[in-house]
Order: sequence, then C-alpha cells, then structure tokens
Amino acid sequence: MSQVLEPDPAAPSRWIAARRASDVQVTQAITAPLLTSPGRVWWLSLLVSGIISLWFLVAVVWLFDQGIGIWGVNSTIVWGVAIANYVWWIGIGNAGTLISAMLLLTRQKWRGSINRFAEAMTLFAVAIAGLMPIMHLGRPIYAYWLAPYPNTMALWPQWRSALVWDFWAIVSYLLFSILFWYVSLIPDLATMRDRTRSYAGQRFYGALALGWRGSARHWSRLQTLHSTMAALGVPLVCSVHSIVGLDFAASLMPGWQEAIFPPYFVVGAMYSGFAMVVVLALVIRWGFGLQAIITRRHFEVIGRVLLMSSIVMGYSYATEWFMAWYGGEHRERGLVAFEFTGTYAPMYWALLACNVAIPQLLWLPRLRRSLPVLLAIAIAINVGMWLERILIVWNTLSHGYMPSLWRSFHFTFWDWSFLIAPLGLFALLFLVFVRLVPAVSMFDMRELAHEEGVA
Amino acid sequence: MPQVNELPTVASPVMEPAPIDRRKALGLLAAGIASGLASCSKPAETIIPYVAMPERLVPGEALHFATTLPLSGYGRGVIVKSIDGRPIKIEGNLRHPASLGATDLFAEATVLSLYDPDRSAVVLRDGAITSYEALQQAFLGEQQHMRANDGEGFRVLTGPTTSPTLLRQIGELLRTYPKARWHSHDPLGDPAAEAGATLAFGRPLHAIPRLDKARIIVVLDADPLGAGPDQMRNGRGFAAHRRPTTSDFSRIYAFEPVPSLTGAKADHRLALGTNEIGEVAVAIARAQGAAVREPAIPERARSLVTALTKDLADHRGAALVLAGPGLTAETHALVHWINTHGQAPLDLIEPLARTPEGRAPASISELTADLAAGKVTQIVMIGVNPAYDTPAELGFAAALPNARFRLHAGCYANETAELATWHVPLSHVLESWSDIRARDGTASLIQPLIRPLHRTMTDHELLARLVGQADARSYDLVRETWRSQGGADFENWWSQALHDGVIANSAAPPVSAGEPVLPALADAAPKDEHGDEQGHERLALVLRPDPCLWDGSFANNAWLQECPKPLSKQVWGNALLLHPDDARRLGMAGGDVVTIASRGQHVQAPVLIEPGLAPRSASLTLGMGRRKAGAIGSGVGVDAYVLRGVDSPWLVPSVSLARTGRRQAILTTQNVVRRPDDVRELFPVHQLGKPQALPKTLAIDDRPSLMPERPRPDNGHAWAMTIDTSLCIGCNACVVACQAENNVPVVGPEEVARGRDMHWLRVDVYDHGGSGDQQLGFQPVPCMHCEHAPCEPVCPVAASVHDGGGLNLQVYNRCVGTRFCEANCPYKVRRFNFFGYADGQEYANLGLDPYRGQKNPEVTVRARGVMEKCTYCVQRISAAERAADREGRQVGADEVHTACQNACPTQAITFGDLQQPDASILRRRTEPGHYALLAHLGTRPRTTYLADVRNPAPDHGGGGT
Repeated sequence: MSQVLEPDPAAPSRWIAARRASDVQVTQAITAPLLTSPGRVWWLSLLVSGIISLWFLVAVVWLFDQGIGIWGVNSTIVWGVAIANYVWWIGIGNAGTLISAMLLLTRQKWRGSINRFAEAMTLFAVAIAGLMPIMHLGRPIYAYWLAPYPNTMALWPQWRSALVWDFWAIVSYLLFSILFWYVSLIPDLATMRDRTRSYAGQRFYGALALGWRGSARHWSRLQTLHSTMAALGVPLVCSVHSIVGLDFAASLMPGWQEAIFPPYFVVGAMYSGFAMVVVLALVIRWGFGLQAIITRRHFEVIGRVLLMSSIVMGYSYATEWFMAWYGGEHRERGLVAFEFTGTYAPMYWALLACNVAIPQLLWLPRLRRSLPVLLAIAIAINVGMWLERILIVWNTLSHGYMPSLWRSFHFTFWDWSFLIAPLGLFALLFLVFVRLVPAVSMFDMRELAHEEGVA
Repeated sequence: MPQVNELPTVASPVMEPAPIDRRKALGLLAAGIASGLASCSKPAETIIPYVAMPERLVPGEALHFATTLPLSGYGRGVIVKSIDGRPIKIEGNLRHPASLGATDLFAEATVLSLYDPDRSAVVLRDGAITSYEALQQAFLGEQQHMRANDGEGFRVLTGPTTSPTLLRQIGELLRTYPKARWHSHDPLGDPAAEAGATLAFGRPLHAIPRLDKARIIVVLDADPLGAGPDQMRNGRGFAAHRRPTTSDFSRIYAFEPVPSLTGAKADHRLALGTNEIGEVAVAIARAQGAAVREPAIPERARSLVTALTKDLADHRGAALVLAGPGLTAETHALVHWINTHGQAPLDLIEPLARTPEGRAPASISELTADLAAGKVTQIVMIGVNPAYDTPAELGFAAALPNARFRLHAGCYANETAELATWHVPLSHVLESWSDIRARDGTASLIQPLIRPLHRTMTDHELLARLVGQADARSYDLVRETWRSQGGADFENWWSQALHDGVIANSAAPPVSAGEPVLPALADAAPKDEHGDEQGHERLALVLRPDPCLWDGSFANNAWLQECPKPLSKQVWGNALLLHPDDARRLGMAGGDVVTIASRGQHVQAPVLIEPGLAPRSASLTLGMGRRKAGAIGSGVGVDAYVLRGVDSPWLVPSVSLARTGRRQAILTTQNVVRRPDDVRELFPVHQLGKPQALPKTLAIDDRPSLMPERPRPDNGHAWAMTIDTSLCIGCNACVVACQAENNVPVVGPEEVARGRDMHWLRVDVYDHGGSGDQQLGFQPVPCMHCEHAPCEPVCPVAASVHDGGGLNLQVYNRCVGTRFCEANCPYKVRRFNFFGYADGQEYANLGLDPYRGQKNPEVTVRARGVMEKCTYCVQRISAAERAADREGRQVGADEVHTACQNACPTQAITFGDLQQPDASILRRRTEPGHYALLAHLGTRPRTTYLADVRNPAPDHGGGGT
C-alpha cells in the first residue's frame, strides 16, 4: 500500500481528489510538511513577511511616539484607515468560524479540508483587528478604560456607546475563536505528539494534546463540545459584525444611521472572509501539495458562496440608495449623489466593480472552476471590501450636515503603512502556524475519506 | 616668586595597575550608578512666600485694570484681566467710546504679543548686542552735534500718533532743535480723505460718522464695519437699527470693488469698479441739486442709485454717505457736500496728530526725498517699519543709509532695524505708561499691567533722552502732560482717569466747517481700455489692509495668523482675489501662482477666486509677506506694499498678471456655503416687511425621543446662548477672544493644510444671494450644548457628559480619544488634539516658556489625543456660582458673560439662564425668526439663532419700512 496520497482530478469521490485515501495516507499527507524541514520558499516568505512585520512595528512605535496626527485624519474626517482596517480584518476573521460552525451544524462535510486554516485565519485576523481600535485612539495607553474594572474613580464604561459593545464583541469573539480552534485541534495535536520524533516536539504537542488517547469517550465528548460551541458560535459570528455595523448605525450621521447595517455587515464579512479563504487555500494547496485534499470542487463551492454573497451585497447597496431616495432626507440623497460623483467617486465605482460586477463572472461554470480566475476575483473582492469600509467612513464624514466643514481625506505614508504592514504580520503568523500545527484537520479528513468510500 | 603655573609637579609614584576582579568591577559599576543617580537630583531651591501680602493681591484671584490699546495711532479702551501679576485676557471697557465694552481681534491678540519670545530685548548697534551705556554715549555725541547746528539734518519719524504726551514731547523736541523735522508715516492712512476735506472745507478735517443716528447708510468703497480703530463704535451704531423688534430699521447700500464686512451686511450691495463708484457719488450729488456734470454710472447701478437717492431725500438728517480711501479727493469732497446738505449724522473734528503748538507732521515722501538728497544726517524712527511698509517705488530703504545716524526703536528688530545703525527695544503697550486718543478725540491713559519683561524703554523715554532728559520716566512724563488738566486735586483726578480708563470730557469738539465747496470734477473717465499695447490684460488692483494682520505689525502673532479672514476663511497667507470671469478669461484657476506686475515692480501670489469682486478688479491685502517678523510671521504670504503707488496708495490702477505655472494650496479653515438648498436649510434670511417669510418662533421641539428627558436643572440653571445673525458682522473678535480665554492652541499652516484647526468657535459664511450677486451672512458656530447631545451616548468612557446646568461637558482627563463624538456631531464643533498642539508638539516657537505666561490658569491646557470644544466658558459660570455662594445669593440672570459675548462689538451674542424669568436671553428667544440649527435632528440645541433680517428698498425686493 502506497503511503503517498496521489492526487487524481478524475477521481469519482466528491470531496477527495484521489482514488484511494487511507487513514495513513491522509495523515501522512497532512503531517509530512510539519515533520520535514521547510523549503527555501517558506524561509523566503518568512523573511519577507518578517521585514514587513518589522515595518508594522516601526509604524506602531512612531504612532505612539508622535500621536495619531501622523495619519491623514482631520477635524471633519476624524476616522480613517485604522477604522476601515478594523472592520476589514474583523470581516476576514468572520469566515473561519462561520465556515466551521455553520457548516458543522448543517453537516457540510467538505468543510473538513478548509476549516482548520480558516479558523487560524480568523484567529490572526481578529487579533490584528483588535489592535486597530487601540491604535486608533488618541490616548491608546488608556484603552483599558473601556473595560469595566473596579477603580478608585468609581467609573464604569458608558454602556450606551457602540464602542463598548464593540469591545465586548471583539473580546468574546477572540476568546471563542481560540477555544473553538483549539478544541478541534486536540486530536490532531495528539497525532502530532505520536508522530513527531524530536523530544521537544513530543513535549510540545504532548502538553497541548491534553492527554488525548482517542478513546470513544474522548471522541464523544469532543463532538458534543464541538457541536455545542458551533451552536454558540453562529450567533456570535453574527453578533460580532452586527455590532461593528452598529458602530456606524448607532449614530445620526447621513449614510450611517441605517437599519440595514448589521445584516449587511455580516454578509460583507462572510463575503470578504470566504474570498480570503480562497486565497489561503490556494497557497496551502500549492505549498503543501494537498491537491487531493483541497479539491477543485471545494473552490467551486466557495465560488458559489461568493456569487451569492455578491448578489446580497449588491442588494444591500441598492437598498441604501433606494432608502436614501425614498426617505426623502436631502442630506441622505446628497450623500448618495456624493458617493457617485464626489471626491471619492472613482473609489466608489471601483468598489461596485470589485464587489458586485466582477464576481458575476462566477455564473459561468468554466470561470468558476478556473483557479487563476477565482484567485483574481477573490483578491478583487478583498480590495473591494476594504474600499467599502474606508468609503463608509470617508463619504459620511466628508459630507455631513455642515457644508462649511466638508473636507477630504489625504493619505499619508503612515496611512499606507497601517494598511499594508499588517498584511505582513498576518502572513508571518500564518507561516508559523502552518509549520507548527496541521493546516488541515486530519481527523475530519479521515472521517471524510471513510464516508466518501476511498479510505 | 614662582608663578602658579610653575608649581613643581609632584612625581607620582609609579604604580602597578591594580588588577580588577569581578567583585571590584561590579562594585565600581554599582558605585557609578549610585553616584549618577545621586547627582541627578534637582538642586535645592528655597521659595519664600509673601511676608507682607501686597494689597488686594490674592493668589489666583484675577485683578482688572483699565488701559488703552493703540491701533494706527488711535486708542481703544480695554480692561485687562491679570492673574498673579500676569495679564492674560483683554476685555472691552464700557466707558470708552471706541470700545463700548467690546473688543476687536487685535485688542484680544495683544496679550499674546506681550509674551512673544521674538520681541526685541536688547540694544543693537549695527546688528550686534550692545549696552544702554553705549547708547547713552552715542546720544551725548549726537546731542552735541544737534545743539551745535540747531538740529539741522535731524529727523524724527513716528507712526500715526495721537498721544498727547508724545505730541508734547515732539513739540518740545522741535523747540529745542528748531531745524529738526518731524515726519509721520501711516501705512494705512487715508490721504484722499484729508485732501477731500481740504478741498471741501479748506482744512483737513476728520469725519466721525454716527451710525447710531443714521437710518440710511450709503457706503462708497468704505468699510465702517471692517477692522479698524473705530470698528467697535461703528459696529454698535450699526446694531442700534438692525433689530426687527425696533421700528427704525436701517437700510444700507454698499458700492464696492471688493467684498467687505459692510458690504456683507448691506441690504443692497453692488460690486462696481472704483471709478464707477465715484460716478455714483456724482449721481447722488446731482440728484440733491448740486451743480455737477452728468454722471456716467453703469446701467446695472442705475435703478439702485435712483432708489437710494429717494431714500436719502426721504431721510434728511438721518442719512449718511461714507467714502472710502480708494476714492479720489474730489469724490471725498463731493461726499462732504452731500452729507452737509443732507444734514448727515456726522461730526467733523480737527485732526488729532498735532503738537500742542499745532504743528503737523511732514510726510514720509518728503523724508525720503530729503534722505535721497543727503539732507538727513540723523534719523530716529520710533515704532515704525518703513523699510517694509512704504511703497517700493518710494525707495525709502535705498535712501535710508544716506543718513549717518539711524536709530530704530521698536518692539521687534524688524526690517527697518536691519538697516539702522542702532536698534532700541521698546516696551510693549501692556508694559508702558502713555496716553492716547480715540478717533473721536477722547483721551485715555495707558498703564502698565506688568513690569517690562525685558530691559526695554518706552517711546516717551527715548524722546526725553533726545532732549537731554536722560532719566525721565514715562510715568512722570505722562503725569506732567495731564497735571494742568487735573487741577488742584490732581492725584484724585489721576486715579479716577486710571480707574475709568478714559479721561472725562476729552472728546474733540465738533467744528462747524461751514458750507463745503463743490469740487471741480474731471470728466467721467473714458471707458476702461482693458489691455495695453502688447494686448496683455490689465486689471485694477484694489489694496486692503489685512483683516487679521492689519498693517503687518501683528504678523508675529500666531492667533492672528491663524484667524480665518472673515470672508475667504484663508489663514496663514494672503491671495490675489480674482473675479471668476476674469480668471476664466486669463486661464487662471484658484491656487495658480501668478506674477502681478505694475510699474516695474512685481510679486507672486496664489489666486483665490472671489465672485463678489467687481469685474476687472483684483485685490490683495497689505500686511503679509514680512521678511523679518519673527518665527511666526516671517515669510508668510505676499507683500503687497511692493506694488503700492505713492500717489494712489489704495488702488493700483493697472496691473498685469502672468501665470508662473506653479500651484500653491490656499489654506482655509472652512468653506463658504453657496449652494442654495444648503443655505435655505441652514441660514434663514428674512426680508423685513414680508412677515410670511419669517421662520416662526421655534417652539421647544418635543418630538418623541429615545434619549432621556432633557437634563434636569439640578442646580437651578439652564444655560443657553442666542446669536443674532442680523447683528453679526463677522469681525472675528469672538474667535480670538475664545482662543485667549480658553487656551485654544495654534496648530500652524501645515496642520491647517491637513484640516486640523482648533478654534472652538467658527464663523460660518453663507451666500444667500441665490443666483444673483453674492450676499453674505455670518453665523458663528460654538458648541450647541444639545439637550439630546449626539456626542454623549457614543462616548465609551463617558468623557462627554451633561451637567445640571445643561452644559455639555468634555472631561479631558477621561477622554481616550475615540473621536466618535466628533464623528457623530452634526455641527462639527469638536476639535481634536491630533498632535500635542499645546503639549510638547507646538508650532514654531509657540512651545517656548514666555508664552506660558498668557495661559488662563482657570482652563486646562489640553494634552495630545483628547477632544475639546466650546464649554460656554464654564470657568466663568463656575466663578459666578462660587461668588454667589460666598455671598449667599443666586447667580444673577445676566451675570455670566462668555468671552465671545463680551468681545462682540454688536452684542449679537446673548448668554444666560433660561430658568430665570428676567433673563434677557428669554426675551431674545421669543423674538421672531428664532431658530435652532438642524432642529429636525431632534438634538434640541441650547445655542439658538435669530434669522438674518435684511431691509431691501421697496421696489428692490423689500417690503419696505
């Protein structure tokens, strides 16, 4: 029996592109990259992302030293890139848990190939997102004042503020994501403990595996816990981005004060998150040679999800325009006109192209199944979603109630730094993750192989 | 005897270098650190409290003193607030006729100049620091020389001055040295007005208009409401007839080439070229029966001139025509004829700048001619800067070195000091004893608020030295001037004069000038030829004093540099104003840098498009482009004195413009709102006599809200403010007053370019002229102190909260800087410290120690990263409450005055407690046209407005009264 999982695109099974995928083969395929020495590409990527992370560090130090005046924010447009980044990263961070929890609950077996790294993506994205509101503050040193803690001032946070809700949403989501990710990781950590040869590795994985022995009782408890957490997770995923939406909706500014914001933000988050999953899945599939495990059919399914989301996004945008017109408030109407024709109009048109127009290509099965096309569309969606977030901030604040103070935002070098450099940190974390932890859930895959009848 | 440096050296025993082991090394390291730490402690310094407390001085309690501040030689009475010996705020002096309790932006900003670290502090000889003793030596030498030849070749150059003491000293100087001459230079003088009065009456009488008695005011290129020494008196006079509740609402017609504050407040404004405005005067005179030629007024002005001549005829005795400095002497004389015949409310007084013997100063042109001819050997220039503010074509700077002894005395070592052989630092007005007269002749004393910060002298002391009184003190000199006035009980008289800040009954008596002579008018100017032989476009360039920097002497004042110009909102610079049609024809756009050339002189300035200009007129302000003003003012803007002509100082008849291809951003703090639907929504304008157009008095907006019920008046107060936009003349006094009172930082041009000004109070400008000519209105916007404040529920740390008096407070030390409050503020009145503007990252030299002296100790200086905004001057409310508590009474209905309210020359701002039935704010709030900004948002602002009421002529769109 060959120990190697041979990819075969023509294999009849739906979710594993191999004619034969025994437990050993699956385990071998997934653990092999962790047990061999990393290649040049990995080291090179680590170097590049490390340098970019260092740039991020420099930017943060400079920010703390100089104050947030280094950004392009001004008295009218008091929010800028940090807020857009925050919403974007939280959005990215939504998909992992959503994929795992929602697909687990709806028994979509194909999630097994992608849920692990999608959850890791969530974790890293939420961690980066959580930094953004702190760096956004004028006095980041006092960020902890948002937490209710007993203090001599006898002061509590101001519970009516959406930012306090936000604080709780981020904290609880981050804690949940870590637990959820870790719980589903335990059997695989045990596998690693058993397979790794170095003493340090055995200690490391052994400690993390919490004494997992793979007994039936263990499995049963794991599954109960996992499904329960999944059931908790789905509303949490929805709440976290709804609350991000409320950061804007719980205001009285034109273009923000909209009831559609919470659901629209959730869909937007899922949308950008799935697009990011496509990018990461393609990288992992190529980097680790997991063509058999992450199949073309997976991408096609995600493509369909993206297509559906793009339609919902288009619907949401159209609802905004319609409600501005139908509501009759002239500031709202003026804002929509400003979106299409004002200072940031090119960006607005680009966002509509990226988020609504271009993804319609996915209607065509041929394009949907083409990995390069899907990658391009996924990147376009991620760009478009960032544009959407920055324009939500800019358009409303640039074009508020007092025309005497209409202004525009001008990007500075440090705005670019805070836009680009966190991507390097994300890549760095991800590169480390794939070397330490199986990037694909082994036990889920083994189960899938059995169900697919190829084991 | 052995020299010290020859002491025998002790041969030190040669020692083996001791081996340093680990223990020893560590020990040495510890000893090093310990000694380093010990030596870093601050040296012990002992402070000693007052043993005998000076009378009336309670630490932390403010004292108020009356004094007078000069502007172009005329005084405006003020009350200076001093805390612990530091003057920190200027308020108006109710008793002084040029203040009437109000201030202007220059008066407010004077207190910052006092602490300017760039002020001159040492005597300079040829640019090098020297001593007063050396100066005294030089004086002795020069005096010997002057005594020998009766002062031949000796000249004194002063600015415009009305100081009785200075004039007395000049008279004495001229008696001592009979051949010496006195020259006076006023860069913003109005020679045409003097020449016109001379034409009409045979002597250069000054006209003092009484706007409070005028029902019809016609301004011909004049700007009585604009910046100047009489702005406050004129503003109060204007306000007397601009309340719709009074029956005698006035009507103002303005003809002007360049938008001005008076033009903005006028009921009819027509942009005309300067020549055409002269024709309007001819038309008015002719309509009143003067035997003058047919006027050549342009077609579009005709019906308006007909309307106004009718109005003038109907209001004999209450109609006033004012001519501006840009017009010709003949037009001024004609206007004198019109006013005399219409019995206009206007006083004529003798000029004030005369020595007791009646000698008038000679001009700077004569001085320059004499300098060039080598007739001047010694020149003393006191408080002037002719090397900067004389027309370039005069050639003063080139001629000055012909004099051997050139002494410049001034508060700054400026452009002129650079050319002088001696520079003497003058004391700031808040450090000096002196006296001065207002425009109407009222005299008042200037008393020091603080001992001179540097070793400086006053102009009086300097002049005294020139006549040999080496140790005269200005205190004695000023008292000597007034001793005869005070009579027997001089000490009491003196105390009273100091206390009141005004000398009773000292106003110049109006003279009866007799029948004015009709001037001989030149034929109407031929239609302008717009182009020279090369086919270049020629435009008329109208010069104006800078509305924020005046003649340029305030250039190093950061508050004034960052004060938005009233109409364009430009800061940190000036720009060439160009009519949109002219700009289109010349292919120029806003922000293009162009070369402006006239008679061989040229400057480069960025273009600012201004639709309110007369076609083919451009405009530039004087007072910018200082080369040697200091860290704040040097190199900001464009020096328009370069283009100025000697013969017509206010109008360069023909300039050519050429693009340079460069662009320069015009720094502004906000936009002028011109879109009709924005203006309709935010700036209601009411035409008098059309009741249906008046917005109905605002009932308290009780639409349902999820917000908690409006704050309960826990402490019995409900503070509120009402601003009458009819009365607001856009003068910016409130803006600078707020800055001074509340320690509002200056951010500098780079930060303004990034859109980050810090003013707590801004004055929005609306163009409500619709599609026709522009008609501007002003709306000052402080914090609205909304009862349902949108900023409060969004703050995660409760830094934005309400107090029992209905104030919307910002708790600086609780603020973490999320900026959600400003994002959610519909009025955008909050300001954020993106950098430490007052906290270690100050602009230019604003972080230097002396400036700290100005800070109001009752107001927190905000740190980086916190939000701030208008507090309704909560420190003043609190002070009034504490005082009331001490005295066991209630705070009076109108007891608290905010800084902006006190500064306002037209009393457009009313502040008070809605809980007190006799508060004047309650009455104002029941007036017609009362509205709240963006009321439909349900924020229930405590700051409300009264609509801008205009009174156009009946057949020109008005209801008429």
